[in-house]
Amino acid sequence: MFSQNGLSLDQAPPISVVFRFFFSGALFGILAGILILFFQNHIFDASDIKAVILTHTLTLGAMLSFMFAALFQMLPVIAGVALPSPVKKANAMQYPFVLGVFSLLLAFNFSTPWLFITASFLLGGSLLYIALVMLKNLWKLPNHSSSSKGMLTALLSLTIVILLALYLTGTLGGLLEGNYYTQIKTAHYSFGLFGWIALLILSISFQVIEMFYVTPSYPKLVSQYLPLTLFTLLTMTTIIGVFNPSIWVASHILIALILIGYSLLTLKRLTQRKRPLADATVWFWRLGLSSLIASMLTLFITNFTELSWVKSLSYIFFASFALSIVFAMFYKIVPFLTWFHLNSQGYFTAPMMHEVIHPKTAKKHLYIHLTTIVIFVLSLFIHLFIFLAGMLTILSFGWIAWQIIHAWKLYNYTQETGEKFDMSSM
Amino acid sequence: MIISQFMTQEHRKCDTEFAAAEQAVANGNWSETEEKFLAFSNNTLKHFKREEMELFPAFEAQTGSSEGPTQVMKHEHEQVRGLMGKMAESIESQDKDAYLSLCESMMILLQQHNMKEEQMLYAMCDRVLPSELKESTLSKMKHVEL
Repeated sequence: MFSQNGLSLDQAPPISVVFRFFFSGALFGILAGILILFFQNHIFDASDIKAVILTHTLTLGAMLSFMFAALFQMLPVIAGVALPSPVKKANAMQYPFVLGVFSLLLAFNFSTPWLFITASFLLGGSLLYIALVMLKNLWKLPNHSSSSKGMLTALLSLTIVILLALYLTGTLGGLLEGNYYTQIKTAHYSFGLFGWIALLILSISFQVIEMFYVTPSYPKLVSQYLPLTLFTLLTMTTIIGVFNPSIWVASHILIALILIGYSLLTLKRLTQRKRPLADATVWFWRLGLSSLIASMLTLFITNFTELSWVKSLSYIFFASFALSIVFAMFYKIVPFLTWFHLNSQGYFTAPMMHEVIHPKTAKKHLYIHLTTIVIFVLSLFIHLFIFLAGMLTILSFGWIAWQIIHAWKLYNYTQETGEKFDMSSM
Repeated sequence: MIISQFMTQEHRKCDTEFAAAEQAVANGNWSETEEKFLAFSNNTLKHFKREEMELFPAFEAQTGSSEGPTQVMKHEHEQVRGLMGKMAESIESQDKDAYLSLCESMMILLQQHNMKEEQMLYAMCDRVLPSELKESTLSKMKHVEL
Protein backbone atom coordinates (compact mmCIF):
# COMPACT_ATOMS: atom_id res chain seq x y z
CA MET A 1 0.00 0.00 0.00
CA PHE A 2 2.30 2.76 1.19
CA SER A 3 5.99 2.76 0.63
CA GLN A 4 8.85 5.11 0.86
CA ASN A 5 12.54 4.54 0.13
CA GLY A 6 11.71 0.92 -0.52
CA LEU A 7 10.19 0.65 2.93
CA SER A 8 6.70 -0.61 3.30
CA LEU A 9 4.55 -0.08 6.32
CA ASP A 10 1.82 -2.47 5.30
CA GLN A 11 0.80 -4.61 8.18
CA ALA A 12 -0.11 -8.03 6.96
CA PRO A 13 -0.13 -10.13 3.81
CA PRO A 14 -3.46 -11.52 2.52
CA ILE A 15 -4.78 -14.07 4.99
CA SER A 16 -4.90 -16.84 2.37
CA VAL A 17 -1.14 -16.62 1.80
CA VAL A 18 -0.32 -17.45 5.41
CA PHE A 19 -3.16 -19.96 5.92
CA ARG A 20 -2.33 -22.01 2.82
CA PHE A 21 1.24 -22.66 3.97
CA PHE A 22 0.14 -23.62 7.47
CA PHE A 23 -2.47 -25.92 5.94
CA SER A 24 -0.11 -27.67 3.52
CA GLY A 25 2.39 -28.05 6.38
CA ALA A 26 -0.31 -29.72 8.49
CA LEU A 27 -1.23 -32.09 5.64
CA PHE A 28 2.42 -33.10 5.18
CA GLY A 29 2.55 -33.66 8.95
CA ILE A 30 -0.46 -36.01 8.71
CA LEU A 31 1.31 -37.81 5.85
CA ALA A 32 4.38 -38.17 8.10
CA GLY A 33 2.18 -39.80 10.76
CA ILE A 34 0.79 -42.26 8.18
CA LEU A 35 4.30 -43.07 6.97
CA ILE A 36 5.40 -43.78 10.56
CA LEU A 37 2.62 -46.41 10.82
CA PHE A 38 4.02 -48.12 7.70
CA PHE A 39 7.75 -47.66 8.31
CA GLN A 40 7.65 -48.36 12.07
CA ASN A 41 11.05 -48.52 13.79
CA HIS A 42 12.97 -48.31 10.50
CA ILE A 43 12.61 -44.55 10.88
CA PHE A 44 15.28 -44.62 13.58
CA ASP A 45 17.94 -46.10 11.31
CA ALA A 46 19.53 -43.12 9.53
CA SER A 47 20.97 -45.37 6.80
CA ASP A 48 17.52 -46.75 5.92
CA ILE A 49 15.77 -45.01 3.01
CA LYS A 50 12.53 -45.04 5.05
CA ALA A 51 14.18 -42.72 7.57
CA VAL A 52 15.27 -40.43 4.72
CA ILE A 53 11.72 -40.35 3.33
CA LEU A 54 10.18 -39.54 6.72
CA THR A 55 12.83 -36.89 7.46
CA HIS A 56 12.08 -35.10 4.18
CA THR A 57 8.31 -35.34 4.69
CA LEU A 58 8.77 -33.59 8.02
CA THR A 59 11.57 -31.12 7.30
CA LEU A 60 10.76 -30.27 3.70
CA GLY A 61 7.00 -30.88 3.51
CA ALA A 62 5.84 -29.81 6.96
CA MET A 63 8.55 -27.56 8.45
CA LEU A 64 9.38 -25.62 5.31
CA SER A 65 5.69 -24.92 4.68
CA PHE A 66 5.23 -23.73 8.26
CA MET A 67 8.33 -21.59 8.07
CA PHE A 68 7.20 -19.93 4.86
CA ALA A 69 3.83 -19.21 6.50
CA ALA A 70 5.72 -17.46 9.29
CA LEU A 71 8.08 -15.71 6.84
CA PHE A 72 5.27 -14.30 4.68
CA GLN A 73 3.68 -13.00 7.89
CA MET A 74 6.79 -11.75 9.68
CA LEU A 75 8.74 -10.15 6.81
CA PRO A 76 6.50 -7.05 6.61
CA VAL A 77 6.42 -6.69 10.39
CA ILE A 78 9.92 -7.52 11.51
CA ALA A 79 11.83 -6.35 8.48
CA GLY A 80 9.44 -3.93 6.78
CA VAL A 81 9.52 -6.03 3.63
CA ALA A 82 6.16 -6.40 1.94
CA LEU A 83 6.52 -8.61 -1.10
CA PRO A 84 4.67 -7.25 -4.12
CA SER A 85 1.83 -9.54 -5.36
CA PRO A 86 2.17 -12.01 -2.48
CA VAL A 87 -0.69 -14.24 -3.72
CA LYS A 88 0.94 -14.72 -7.11
CA LYS A 89 4.28 -15.42 -5.47
CA ALA A 90 2.72 -17.89 -3.04
CA ASN A 91 1.03 -19.70 -5.96
CA ALA A 92 4.21 -19.72 -8.03
CA MET A 93 6.04 -21.29 -5.15
CA GLN A 94 3.51 -23.60 -3.53
CA TYR A 95 2.20 -25.70 -6.43
CA PRO A 96 5.58 -26.73 -7.86
CA PHE A 97 6.85 -27.12 -4.29
CA VAL A 98 4.13 -29.62 -3.31
CA LEU A 99 4.61 -31.57 -6.56
CA GLY A 100 8.37 -31.45 -5.99
CA VAL A 101 8.10 -32.89 -2.48
CA PHE A 102 6.00 -35.80 -3.76
CA SER A 103 8.43 -36.40 -6.64
CA LEU A 104 11.33 -36.46 -4.21
CA LEU A 105 9.60 -38.84 -1.78
CA LEU A 106 8.70 -41.18 -4.65
CA ALA A 107 12.22 -40.86 -6.06
CA PHE A 108 13.69 -41.94 -2.72
CA ASN A 109 11.22 -44.82 -2.44
CA PHE A 110 11.71 -46.22 -5.96
CA SER A 111 15.28 -44.96 -6.61
CA THR A 112 14.09 -43.57 -9.94
CA PRO A 113 16.62 -41.23 -11.60
CA TRP A 114 14.06 -39.25 -13.66
CA LEU A 115 12.00 -38.57 -10.54
CA PHE A 116 15.10 -37.12 -8.88
CA ILE A 117 15.59 -34.85 -11.91
CA THR A 118 11.89 -33.83 -11.83
CA ALA A 119 12.15 -33.10 -8.09
CA SER A 120 15.31 -31.05 -8.71
CA PHE A 121 13.54 -28.81 -11.21
CA LEU A 122 10.35 -28.41 -9.19
CA LEU A 123 11.92 -27.92 -5.76
CA GLY A 124 15.04 -26.11 -6.95
CA GLY A 125 12.99 -23.76 -9.12
CA SER A 126 10.26 -22.94 -6.59
CA LEU A 127 12.46 -22.65 -3.51
CA LEU A 128 15.33 -20.78 -5.13
CA TYR A 129 12.80 -18.40 -6.67
CA ILE A 130 11.10 -17.49 -3.39
CA ALA A 131 14.34 -17.47 -1.36
CA LEU A 132 15.98 -15.10 -3.84
CA VAL A 133 12.89 -12.81 -3.99
CA MET A 134 12.91 -12.56 -0.18
CA LEU A 135 16.69 -12.12 -0.05
CA LYS A 136 16.59 -9.35 -2.66
CA ASN A 137 13.96 -7.44 -0.68
CA LEU A 138 15.78 -7.92 2.60
CA TRP A 139 19.07 -6.87 1.05
CA LYS A 140 17.65 -3.51 0.00
CA LEU A 141 16.66 -2.50 3.54
CA PRO A 142 18.36 0.71 4.68
CA ASN A 143 17.84 -0.05 8.39
CA HIS A 144 18.54 -3.55 9.63
CA SER A 145 17.44 -5.01 12.94
CA SER A 146 19.09 -8.07 14.41
CA SER A 147 16.02 -10.07 13.34
CA SER A 148 16.09 -8.88 9.73
CA LYS A 149 19.83 -9.62 9.55
CA GLY A 150 19.18 -13.04 11.03
CA MET A 151 16.39 -13.74 8.53
CA LEU A 152 18.72 -12.75 5.73
CA THR A 153 21.35 -15.17 7.01
CA ALA A 154 18.75 -17.94 7.40
CA LEU A 155 17.54 -17.43 3.82
CA LEU A 156 21.14 -17.50 2.58
CA SER A 157 21.47 -20.81 4.41
CA LEU A 158 18.30 -22.08 2.74
CA THR A 159 19.77 -21.16 -0.65
CA ILE A 160 22.89 -23.15 0.21
CA VAL A 161 20.76 -26.09 1.45
CA ILE A 162 18.96 -26.14 -1.91
CA LEU A 163 22.16 -25.88 -3.96
CA LEU A 164 23.73 -28.72 -1.96
CA ALA A 165 20.51 -30.75 -2.37
CA LEU A 166 20.67 -30.20 -6.13
CA TYR A 167 24.16 -31.71 -6.15
CA LEU A 168 22.79 -34.75 -4.30
CA THR A 169 19.69 -35.21 -6.48
CA GLY A 170 21.80 -34.51 -9.58
CA THR A 171 24.05 -37.39 -8.53
CA LEU A 172 21.13 -39.70 -7.73
CA GLY A 173 19.53 -38.69 -11.05
CA GLY A 174 22.69 -39.73 -12.91
CA LEU A 175 23.61 -36.23 -14.09
CA LEU A 176 26.66 -35.81 -11.85
CA GLU A 177 29.44 -38.16 -10.80
CA GLY A 178 29.06 -37.24 -7.15
CA ASN A 179 32.67 -37.52 -6.07
CA TYR A 180 31.92 -35.49 -2.94
CA TYR A 181 28.52 -37.05 -2.24
CA THR A 182 29.14 -37.97 1.43
CA GLN A 183 30.69 -34.63 2.34
CA ILE A 184 27.94 -32.67 0.60
CA LYS A 185 25.29 -34.78 2.30
CA THR A 186 26.70 -33.88 5.74
CA ALA A 187 26.85 -30.20 4.76
CA HIS A 188 23.27 -30.40 3.38
CA TYR A 189 21.65 -31.66 6.56
CA SER A 190 23.86 -29.54 8.83
CA PHE A 191 22.93 -26.37 6.93
CA GLY A 192 19.29 -27.50 6.82
CA LEU A 193 18.95 -28.19 10.55
CA PHE A 194 21.21 -25.50 12.00
CA GLY A 195 21.61 -22.88 9.26
CA TRP A 196 17.99 -22.81 8.14
CA ILE A 197 15.62 -24.17 10.82
CA ALA A 198 17.52 -23.19 13.99
CA LEU A 199 18.80 -19.90 12.60
CA LEU A 200 15.39 -18.73 11.40
CA ILE A 201 13.74 -19.63 14.72
CA LEU A 202 16.55 -17.92 16.61
CA SER A 203 16.31 -14.75 14.49
CA ILE A 204 12.55 -14.47 14.82
CA SER A 205 12.79 -15.12 18.57
CA PHE A 206 15.03 -12.08 19.07
CA GLN A 207 11.98 -10.00 18.32
CA VAL A 208 8.91 -12.08 19.13
CA ILE A 209 9.93 -13.17 22.64
CA GLU A 210 10.25 -9.54 23.65
CA MET A 211 7.18 -8.58 21.64
CA PHE A 212 4.68 -11.27 22.68
CA TYR A 213 5.69 -11.69 26.30
CA VAL A 214 7.22 -8.31 27.22
CA THR A 215 10.64 -9.51 28.31
CA PRO A 216 13.97 -7.69 28.52
CA SER A 217 15.60 -7.60 25.09
CA TYR A 218 18.42 -9.98 24.19
CA PRO A 219 21.98 -8.74 24.79
CA LYS A 220 23.18 -6.95 21.64
CA LEU A 221 26.22 -9.22 21.43
CA VAL A 222 23.92 -12.24 21.07
CA SER A 223 21.27 -10.84 18.73
CA GLN A 224 23.78 -9.07 16.48
CA TYR A 225 26.45 -11.72 16.14
CA LEU A 226 24.96 -15.13 16.89
CA PRO A 227 23.31 -15.70 13.47
CA LEU A 228 26.41 -14.62 11.59
CA THR A 229 28.67 -16.75 13.81
CA LEU A 230 26.54 -19.84 13.13
CA PHE A 231 26.45 -19.13 9.41
CA THR A 232 30.23 -18.51 9.18
CA LEU A 233 30.93 -21.66 11.18
CA LEU A 234 28.74 -23.76 8.86
CA THR A 235 30.20 -22.22 5.70
CA MET A 236 33.81 -22.73 6.79
CA THR A 237 33.14 -26.29 7.93
CA THR A 238 31.48 -27.08 4.61
CA ILE A 239 34.52 -25.87 2.66
CA ILE A 240 37.10 -27.54 4.92
CA GLY A 241 34.84 -30.62 5.23
CA VAL A 242 35.18 -31.38 1.51
CA PHE A 243 38.84 -32.25 2.13
CA ASN A 244 38.69 -33.17 5.80
CA PRO A 245 35.22 -34.53 6.77
CA SER A 246 36.19 -35.10 10.41
CA ILE A 247 36.05 -31.32 10.94
CA TRP A 248 32.26 -31.71 11.27
CA VAL A 249 32.68 -33.35 14.69
CA ALA A 250 34.30 -30.22 16.11
CA SER A 251 31.83 -27.99 14.28
CA HIS A 252 28.79 -29.88 15.60
CA ILE A 253 30.15 -29.64 19.15
CA LEU A 254 30.58 -25.86 18.77
CA ILE A 255 27.10 -25.50 17.27
CA ALA A 256 25.66 -27.58 20.13
CA LEU A 257 27.29 -25.29 22.69
CA ILE A 258 26.04 -22.15 20.92
CA LEU A 259 22.47 -23.44 20.69
CA ILE A 260 22.46 -24.61 24.33
CA GLY A 261 23.62 -21.13 25.36
CA TYR A 262 20.90 -19.51 23.25
CA SER A 263 18.21 -21.82 24.71
CA LEU A 264 19.23 -21.13 28.31
CA LEU A 265 19.22 -17.41 27.64
CA THR A 266 15.76 -17.54 26.06
CA LEU A 267 14.36 -19.72 28.85
CA LYS A 268 15.66 -17.11 31.30
CA ARG A 269 14.02 -14.35 29.25
CA LEU A 270 10.71 -16.21 29.53
CA THR A 271 10.99 -16.28 33.33
CA GLN A 272 11.56 -12.49 33.24
CA ARG A 273 8.42 -11.79 31.20
CA LYS A 274 6.13 -9.05 32.48
CA ARG A 275 2.92 -10.54 31.06
CA PRO A 276 1.61 -12.72 33.85
CA LEU A 277 -0.26 -15.53 32.14
CA ALA A 278 1.65 -18.59 30.99
CA ASP A 279 -0.60 -19.58 28.07
CA ALA A 280 0.01 -22.60 25.85
CA THR A 281 2.39 -20.64 23.61
CA VAL A 282 4.75 -19.92 26.53
CA TRP A 283 4.79 -23.64 27.32
CA PHE A 284 5.35 -24.52 23.63
CA TRP A 285 8.39 -22.20 23.70
CA ARG A 286 9.65 -23.77 26.93
CA LEU A 287 9.16 -27.28 25.57
CA GLY A 288 10.87 -26.33 22.30
CA LEU A 289 13.89 -24.75 23.97
CA SER A 290 14.26 -27.61 26.47
CA SER A 291 14.06 -30.04 23.54
CA LEU A 292 16.81 -28.11 21.76
CA ILE A 293 19.04 -28.42 24.84
CA ALA A 294 18.29 -32.17 25.05
CA SER A 295 18.92 -32.56 21.32
CA MET A 296 22.26 -30.76 21.47
CA LEU A 297 23.39 -32.68 24.58
CA THR A 298 22.60 -36.00 22.90
CA LEU A 299 24.30 -34.81 19.70
CA PHE A 300 27.37 -34.06 21.80
CA ILE A 301 27.23 -37.54 23.38
CA THR A 302 26.95 -39.27 19.96
CA ASN A 303 30.60 -38.39 19.42
CA PHE A 304 31.60 -40.66 22.27
CA THR A 305 29.24 -43.63 21.94
CA GLU A 306 28.20 -46.23 19.40
CA LEU A 307 24.68 -46.53 20.80
CA SER A 308 22.31 -45.79 17.93
CA TRP A 309 19.41 -44.77 20.19
CA VAL A 310 21.38 -41.77 21.43
CA LYS A 311 21.47 -40.43 17.87
CA SER A 312 17.75 -41.17 17.46
CA LEU A 313 17.05 -39.27 20.67
CA SER A 314 18.89 -36.29 19.24
CA TYR A 315 16.65 -36.37 16.12
CA ILE A 316 13.43 -36.75 18.13
CA PHE A 317 14.33 -33.82 20.37
CA PHE A 318 15.31 -31.66 17.41
CA ALA A 319 11.96 -32.34 15.76
CA SER A 320 10.28 -31.52 19.07
CA PHE A 321 12.22 -28.24 19.21
CA ALA A 322 11.27 -27.13 15.71
CA LEU A 323 7.62 -28.20 15.88
CA SER A 324 7.01 -26.79 19.37
CA ILE A 325 8.19 -23.34 18.27
CA VAL A 326 6.17 -23.54 15.05
CA PHE A 327 3.06 -24.41 17.09
CA ALA A 328 3.78 -21.51 19.48
CA MET A 329 3.87 -19.13 16.51
CA PHE A 330 0.80 -20.74 14.94
CA TYR A 331 -1.40 -20.10 17.99
CA LYS A 332 -0.49 -16.40 17.92
CA ILE A 333 -0.52 -15.80 14.16
CA VAL A 334 -3.73 -17.55 13.05
CA PRO A 335 -6.16 -16.01 15.60
CA PHE A 336 -4.53 -12.60 15.26
CA LEU A 337 -4.68 -12.57 11.46
CA THR A 338 -8.32 -13.66 11.45
CA TRP A 339 -9.30 -10.88 13.84
CA PHE A 340 -6.99 -8.31 12.26
CA HIS A 341 -8.15 -8.73 8.66
CA LEU A 342 -11.84 -8.69 9.60
CA ASN A 343 -11.35 -5.72 11.92
CA SER A 344 -9.42 -3.84 9.21
CA GLN A 345 -12.27 -4.52 6.77
CA GLY A 346 -14.60 -2.76 9.21
CA TYR A 347 -16.58 -5.70 10.62
CA PHE A 348 -18.10 -4.91 14.02
CA THR A 349 -18.60 -8.63 14.51
CA ALA A 350 -14.95 -9.60 13.91
CA PRO A 351 -14.30 -12.53 16.28
CA MET A 352 -11.86 -11.94 19.11
CA MET A 353 -8.67 -14.03 19.16
CA HIS A 354 -10.05 -16.34 21.85
CA GLU A 355 -13.12 -16.98 19.70
CA VAL A 356 -10.95 -18.06 16.77
CA ILE A 357 -8.85 -20.44 18.86
CA HIS A 358 -9.60 -20.65 22.56
CA PRO A 359 -6.56 -20.89 24.90
CA LYS A 360 -7.96 -24.22 26.18
CA THR A 361 -7.86 -25.63 22.63
CA ALA A 362 -4.19 -24.65 22.33
CA LYS A 363 -3.48 -26.18 25.73
CA LYS A 364 -5.10 -29.49 24.69
CA HIS A 365 -2.80 -29.53 21.68
CA LEU A 366 0.17 -28.89 23.95
CA TYR A 367 -0.69 -32.05 25.91
CA ILE A 368 -1.13 -34.06 22.69
CA HIS A 369 2.21 -32.78 21.38
CA LEU A 370 4.02 -33.49 24.67
CA THR A 371 2.55 -37.01 24.81
CA THR A 372 3.67 -37.59 21.20
CA ILE A 373 7.27 -36.71 22.09
CA VAL A 374 7.25 -38.96 25.17
CA ILE A 375 5.78 -41.89 23.20
CA PHE A 376 8.41 -41.45 20.47
CA VAL A 377 11.16 -41.66 23.09
CA LEU A 378 9.55 -44.76 24.62
CA SER A 379 9.22 -46.38 21.19
CA LEU A 380 13.02 -46.50 20.98
CA PHE A 381 12.89 -49.09 23.76
CA ILE A 382 9.40 -50.60 23.43
CA HIS A 383 8.93 -51.02 19.68
CA LEU A 384 5.16 -51.41 19.66
CA PHE A 385 4.81 -47.83 20.90
CA ILE A 386 5.74 -46.62 17.42
CA PHE A 387 2.14 -47.25 16.28
CA LEU A 388 0.85 -45.02 19.04
CA ALA A 389 3.49 -42.41 18.12
CA GLY A 390 2.31 -42.50 14.49
CA MET A 391 -1.33 -42.08 15.47
CA LEU A 392 -0.51 -39.23 17.84
CA THR A 393 1.45 -37.52 15.05
CA ILE A 394 -1.64 -37.73 12.83
CA LEU A 395 -3.78 -36.37 15.68
CA SER A 396 -1.36 -33.52 16.39
CA PHE A 397 -1.14 -32.29 12.80
CA GLY A 398 -4.85 -33.03 12.26
CA TRP A 399 -5.51 -30.71 15.22
CA ILE A 400 -3.59 -27.94 13.47
CA ALA A 401 -5.38 -28.58 10.15
CA TRP A 402 -8.75 -28.39 11.91
CA GLN A 403 -7.88 -25.08 13.60
CA ILE A 404 -7.03 -23.57 10.19
CA ILE A 405 -10.28 -24.87 8.66
CA HIS A 406 -12.21 -23.51 11.66
CA ALA A 407 -10.51 -20.07 11.42
CA TRP A 408 -11.06 -19.94 7.66
CA LYS A 409 -14.75 -20.86 8.02
CA LEU A 410 -15.19 -18.24 10.73
CA TYR A 411 -13.46 -15.66 8.53
CA ASN A 412 -15.75 -16.39 5.58
CA TYR A 413 -18.85 -16.60 7.78
CA THR A 414 -18.12 -13.15 9.25
CA GLN A 415 -17.55 -11.74 5.76
CA GLU A 416 -20.87 -13.17 4.57
CA THR A 417 -23.04 -12.33 7.56
CA GLY A 418 -21.18 -9.75 9.65
CA GLU A 419 -22.23 -6.14 10.09
CA LYS A 420 -19.77 -3.80 8.48
CA PHE A 421 -18.70 -0.28 9.17
CA ASP A 422 -19.13 1.48 5.82
CA MET A 423 -15.68 2.92 5.08
CA SER A 424 -16.81 4.42 1.77
CA SER A 425 -19.09 6.87 3.57
CA MET A 426 -16.08 8.40 5.32
CA MET B 1 19.13 8.92 17.28
CA ILE B 2 17.40 11.15 19.86
CA ILE B 3 13.93 10.63 18.38
CA SER B 4 14.32 6.85 18.32
CA GLN B 5 15.65 6.77 21.87
CA PHE B 6 12.92 8.88 23.44
CA MET B 7 10.01 7.31 21.58
CA THR B 8 11.25 3.73 22.06
CA GLN B 9 11.52 4.36 25.81
CA GLU B 10 7.90 5.50 25.78
CA HIS B 11 6.85 2.29 24.02
CA ARG B 12 8.55 0.20 26.68
CA LYS B 13 6.92 2.18 29.48
CA CYS B 14 3.50 1.58 27.95
CA ASP B 15 4.27 -2.14 27.60
CA THR B 16 5.06 -2.34 31.30
CA GLU B 17 1.83 -0.57 32.22
CA PHE B 18 -0.12 -2.85 29.88
CA ALA B 19 1.38 -5.92 31.57
CA ALA B 20 0.55 -4.51 35.03
CA ALA B 21 -3.12 -4.11 34.05
CA GLU B 22 -3.18 -7.66 32.66
CA GLN B 23 -1.65 -8.93 35.90
CA ALA B 24 -4.34 -7.15 37.92
CA VAL B 25 -7.08 -8.82 35.82
CA ALA B 26 -5.39 -12.20 36.24
CA ASN B 27 -5.49 -11.59 40.03
CA GLY B 28 -9.17 -10.65 39.79
CA ASN B 29 -8.48 -7.20 41.25
CA TRP B 30 -10.76 -4.93 39.21
CA SER B 31 -10.11 -1.66 41.04
CA GLU B 32 -6.38 -2.07 40.48
CA THR B 33 -7.08 -3.05 36.87
CA GLU B 34 -8.95 0.18 36.34
CA GLU B 35 -6.07 2.21 37.74
CA LYS B 36 -3.38 0.39 35.72
CA PHE B 37 -5.44 0.37 32.52
CA LEU B 38 -5.99 4.09 32.86
CA ALA B 39 -2.24 4.65 33.21
CA PHE B 40 -1.60 2.51 30.13
CA SER B 41 -4.28 4.10 27.97
CA ASN B 42 -3.50 7.68 29.01
CA ASN B 43 0.20 7.29 28.32
CA THR B 44 -0.40 5.51 25.03
CA LEU B 45 -2.84 8.19 23.88
CA LYS B 46 -0.40 10.93 24.95
CA HIS B 47 2.32 9.19 22.94
CA PHE B 48 0.02 9.05 19.87
CA LYS B 49 -0.78 12.74 20.31
CA ARG B 50 2.93 13.58 20.44
CA GLU B 51 3.39 11.79 17.14
CA GLU B 52 0.31 13.14 15.41
CA MET B 53 0.75 16.76 16.58
CA GLU B 54 4.50 17.15 16.31
CA LEU B 55 6.57 14.31 14.90
CA PHE B 56 4.49 13.29 11.90
CA PRO B 57 3.90 16.86 10.65
CA ALA B 58 7.65 17.57 10.92
CA PHE B 59 8.43 14.41 8.99
CA GLU B 60 5.76 15.12 6.38
CA ALA B 61 7.01 18.69 5.87
CA GLN B 62 10.59 17.49 5.51
CA THR B 63 9.82 14.67 3.06
CA GLY B 64 6.90 16.37 1.30
CA SER B 65 4.79 13.27 1.80
CA SER B 66 1.63 13.19 3.89
CA GLU B 67 0.21 10.01 2.41
CA GLY B 68 3.13 7.73 3.14
CA PRO B 69 4.08 5.86 6.29
CA THR B 70 2.63 8.46 8.67
CA GLN B 71 -0.82 7.85 7.20
CA VAL B 72 -0.54 4.13 7.94
CA MET B 73 0.64 4.85 11.48
CA LYS B 74 -2.34 7.15 12.07
CA HIS B 75 -4.69 4.47 10.78
CA GLU B 76 -3.16 1.99 13.22
CA HIS B 77 -3.53 4.49 16.07
CA GLU B 78 -7.25 4.49 15.28
CA GLN B 79 -7.33 0.69 15.48
CA VAL B 80 -5.61 0.82 18.88
CA ARG B 81 -8.07 3.47 20.12
CA GLY B 82 -10.96 1.22 19.03
CA LEU B 83 -9.56 -1.73 20.96
CA MET B 84 -8.96 0.45 24.02
CA GLY B 85 -12.66 1.31 24.04
CA LYS B 86 -13.59 -2.36 23.98
CA MET B 87 -11.11 -3.13 26.78
CA ALA B 88 -12.65 -0.37 28.90
CA GLU B 89 -16.10 -1.91 28.31
CA SER B 90 -14.88 -5.32 29.43
CA ILE B 91 -13.45 -3.77 32.62
CA GLU B 92 -16.78 -2.13 33.27
CA SER B 93 -18.61 -5.43 32.89
CA GLN B 94 -15.78 -7.23 34.73
CA ASP B 95 -15.54 -9.78 31.91
CA LYS B 96 -12.17 -11.43 32.48
CA ASP B 97 -12.20 -13.68 29.41
CA ALA B 98 -13.14 -10.81 27.08
CA TYR B 99 -10.44 -8.57 28.59
CA LEU B 100 -7.72 -11.21 28.23
CA SER B 101 -8.79 -11.98 24.67
CA LEU B 102 -8.66 -8.27 23.80
CA CYS B 103 -5.25 -8.10 25.49
CA GLU B 104 -3.89 -10.64 23.00
CA SER B 105 -5.08 -8.63 19.99
CA MET B 106 -3.93 -5.35 21.52
CA MET B 107 -0.50 -6.68 22.38
CA ILE B 108 0.24 -8.01 18.91
CA LEU B 109 -1.29 -4.99 17.19
CA LEU B 110 0.70 -2.58 19.35
CA GLN B 111 3.93 -4.51 19.05
CA GLN B 112 3.70 -4.78 15.26
CA HIS B 113 3.02 -1.07 15.18
CA ASN B 114 5.88 -0.24 17.56
CA MET B 115 8.29 -2.41 15.63
CA LYS B 116 7.56 -0.61 12.40
CA GLU B 117 7.95 2.76 14.07
CA GLU B 118 11.16 1.85 15.86
CA GLN B 119 12.82 0.17 12.93
CA MET B 120 11.60 2.37 10.13
CA LEU B 121 9.77 5.57 10.92
CA TYR B 122 11.84 6.81 13.88
CA ALA B 123 15.03 5.78 12.12
CA MET B 124 13.87 7.71 9.05
CA CYS B 125 13.00 10.74 11.21
CA ASP B 126 16.43 10.65 12.81
CA ARG B 127 17.97 10.44 9.35
CA VAL B 128 15.99 13.06 7.40
CA LEU B 129 15.28 15.75 10.00
CA PRO B 130 18.05 18.36 10.43
CA SER B 131 19.48 18.22 13.95
CA GLU B 132 18.03 21.58 15.05
CA LEU B 133 14.56 20.58 13.90
CA LYS B 134 14.98 17.25 15.64
CA GLU B 135 15.84 18.97 18.93
CA SER B 136 12.91 21.37 18.67
CA THR B 137 10.43 18.62 17.67
CA LEU B 138 11.56 16.51 20.61
CA SER B 139 11.20 19.42 22.98
CA LYS B 140 7.69 20.20 21.66
CA MET B 141 6.71 16.54 21.98
CA LYS B 142 7.78 16.51 25.62
CA HIS B 143 5.39 19.37 26.31
CA VAL B 144 2.34 17.71 24.72
CA GLU B 145 -0.32 16.78 27.26
CA LEU B 146 -3.52 14.82 26.84
